[in-house]
Amino acid sequence: MRRLRRFLRTPEAVAGTILLTVLFAMALSASLLFPGDPQAIAGPALLPPFQDWSLPLGTDRLGRDVLAELFHGARTSLAVGLAAAAAALVIGAVVGTLAGFAGGLVDEVLMRITDAFQTVPGFLLALAFVSVVGPSLGVVVVAIALGTWTGPARIARAEVLSIRERDYVAGARVIGMRPLEIAFREVLPNALPPVLAMSSVIVAAAILTEAALSFLGLGDPNRVTWGGMIAEGRAVLRTAPFLSIVPGIALVLTVLGVYLAGEGIVETTAVRRGLS
Amino acid sequence: MSGFTISRRTMLTGSAILLASTAMPTSSWAQTPKKGGRLVLAADSEPRNLNPAIVASNGVFFISSKIVETLAEASFEGKDGLAPRLAVSWEGAADGLSATFKLREGVKWHDGKPFTSADVAFSALRIWKPLQNLGRTVFKDLSAVDTPDDLTAVFKFAKPTPFQLIRNALPALSSVVPKHVYEVGKIEDNPANNAPIGTGPFKFGEYKAGQYYRLTKNTDYWSKDEPYLDEIIYQVLPDRTSAAAALEAEEIQLAAFSAVPLADLDRISKVPGLKVITKGYEGLTYQLVVEINHRRKELADIKVRQAIAHAIDKDFVVKTMFLGYAATATGPVPKNDPQFYTADVPTYAFDVAKANALLDEAGYRKGADGNRFSLKLLPAPYFNETKQFGDYLRQALAAIGIDAQLVNNDSAAHIKAVYTDHAFDLAVGPPVFRGDPAISTTILVQSGIPDGVPFSNQGGYKNDALDALITKASETLDTTARTDLYKEFQKQVAADLPLINVAEWSFISVASDKVGNIANNPRWAVSNWADTYLES
Repeated sequence: MRRLRRFLRTPEAVAGTILLTVLFAMALSASLLFPGDPQAIAGPALLPPFQDWSLPLGTDRLGRDVLAELFHGARTSLAVGLAAAAAALVIGAVVGTLAGFAGGLVDEVLMRITDAFQTVPGFLLALAFVSVVGPSLGVVVVAIALGTWTGPARIARAEVLSIRERDYVAGARVIGMRPLEIAFREVLPNALPPVLAMSSVIVAAAILTEAALSFLGLGDPNRVTWGGMIAEGRAVLRTAPFLSIVPGIALVLTVLGVYLAGEGIVETTAVRRGLS
Repeated sequence: MSGFTISRRTMLTGSAILLASTAMPTSSWAQTPKKGGRLVLAADSEPRNLNPAIVASNGVFFISSKIVETLAEASFEGKDGLAPRLAVSWEGAADGLSATFKLREGVKWHDGKPFTSADVAFSALRIWKPLQNLGRTVFKDLSAVDTPDDLTAVFKFAKPTPFQLIRNALPALSSVVPKHVYEVGKIEDNPANNAPIGTGPFKFGEYKAGQYYRLTKNTDYWSKDEPYLDEIIYQVLPDRTSAAAALEAEEIQLAAFSAVPLADLDRISKVPGLKVITKGYEGLTYQLVVEINHRRKELADIKVRQAIAHAIDKDFVVKTMFLGYAATATGPVPKNDPQFYTADVPTYAFDVAKANALLDEAGYRKGADGNRFSLKLLPAPYFNETKQFGDYLRQALAAIGIDAQLVNNDSAAHIKAVYTDHAFDLAVGPPVFRGDPAISTTILVQSGIPDGVPFSNQGGYKNDALDALITKASETLDTTARTDLYKEFQKQVAADLPLINVAEWSFISVASDKVGNIANNPRWAVSNWADTYLES
């Protein structure tokens, strides 16, 4: 309870939480408020915002409802962002733990693989992967995770290196637990907090990468994505700028929200640790 | 509905401005052309092979048609729609076994050597027939080219070949390249493919990848006093939105091939000093076509194809996607073709109820989720409009209970998926009509074409009656009889729907008021620009 109060006392955390709550509400209510296909043609093409209250944010070049697309796009952005970050954290934590705990040759091999992935820019890797395999939601998630798991892996490994020397690990060894059991039941849970602290940055980056991929036409074409909306609007940027600006603002607020909320959490836990 | 009038009104104002703008340059054409100056224009692609004799495509012509000339060019006024270039006259024999071309005197290649009938014979036999993407079909029966003297070339055909077809093919297919440059070594690897040598009004200057192509004036051009321009610079601007900005900043004076997005035209037509021109592309009509894979059992059913045709609102496509800069299509020959088009074909009005009824009749009832069956839809990535039509078609099909899943590919992957692997159910393609159905239109429905030939029938469609008609038309020498056969061809295609023609469109140029003699022939953007000039 005290922690929650402290969390709420930091203004950026509050702002971030509000933004995220709104975003989740948008994503969850998308099907209720805008049932059916958000890409269905709903009215005249290129209707500017605030002209017709049944289409408050106007329509795009084919006459699709921008507000409906925005709500459904929130869903895609969040789903991809969270799924990619989760995948990156899981892969990273497992690889890092194995490397740090096993040491020796296993450590060398795993860390050199991590190095190899780290030397290729994450976005380039995602771009190449999606263009080879073909765009669909699952592929985009994997593509983003491919470029982001290395950070968590390195942090997990560093953490495990110090934890594996602790007494309770030695204790676990003495009572005859198998090495893998020790690694994943004793060491990993204790190595997680600093890895999780990275999650907000990873989610934010994943959302941006997804938007960039969609902008380049490498997103799932059967789903609404904010990046795709911005790309669509780009052709008419001078005559109907709102088509790019509206999803652009949504994207900025989302990334900001995720980042601020993450900062808030890190700050709160850091203070708690410092106090204890 | 109120919103609909808005779009119609903007459309009308748009077309009124267009009319006004096309009327404007006519007055400036009366002025005497001024010599000198550098024309800077936008180029959106960078073809590597610039030899128009091998790669007969508009992207290549756009640059190399100023350097390498054809035997004849399309014309608004000329007989049979042609104006002489390297040939001054042409005549086909009554038996269709030969065609005689009289060539222009005093023409020199850019390296100073004289142009003769040997160059024509070499280009025809060694390049157009075996290597050129379009010439392979048109010149397939060409057996020899006789050169009785330096200024006469007689084409000999093994089988009767309609002269109407050869004539219609001249503007796009007859680029003549120098024999003395190409006779050594492999033609495909010749360095002149990247730095062409021709007889045209401009010489190849230099090419900087990602930046520009520079062409310079040919001071020894056969038409005295021409060209008027000193230099042409093709500024590479791959981003479509940047062309409009560059025009407004007066960095470039011309953006052809719709480099300015359609949605921007209304705004840009109001910018002082710029004009929007819809003329000059009559000979380059693109067709928006739904390609169908007849290997899918649902699509092999004529009722399903008719249902899809009824589900597409062609007027919506023309008004909303093309903003009125297009026409609805009735069949495989575009409405603007003066020789072959017929409106007397079965048509499919936009009628969702009828489409649903046809699908019910065919036995594909809606399931619990409202879907009858699911299809893979591959829109071609070359144009904004083909991609957008993919989005539209998905919605139109959803309305009749067909669930279409879009698959987006880049150009290379799209060509492989559709024309080699046949991994599609429906595809959206932009084939080009090139003035004669035998050049690039009949192969869209003809059977027996090997896998991997792009822009041909790769949907597994086979109709013996239609194949017979195509063969008969290709052997018919009499112009009237041949034209009638192609009218029958349009009827049969529209009736059996091997593919669905949705719309026909061409390009728009935006130019500075200073550029003169724009759009004065039906293939202006890909013609030689000898008479184009800049007012100071």
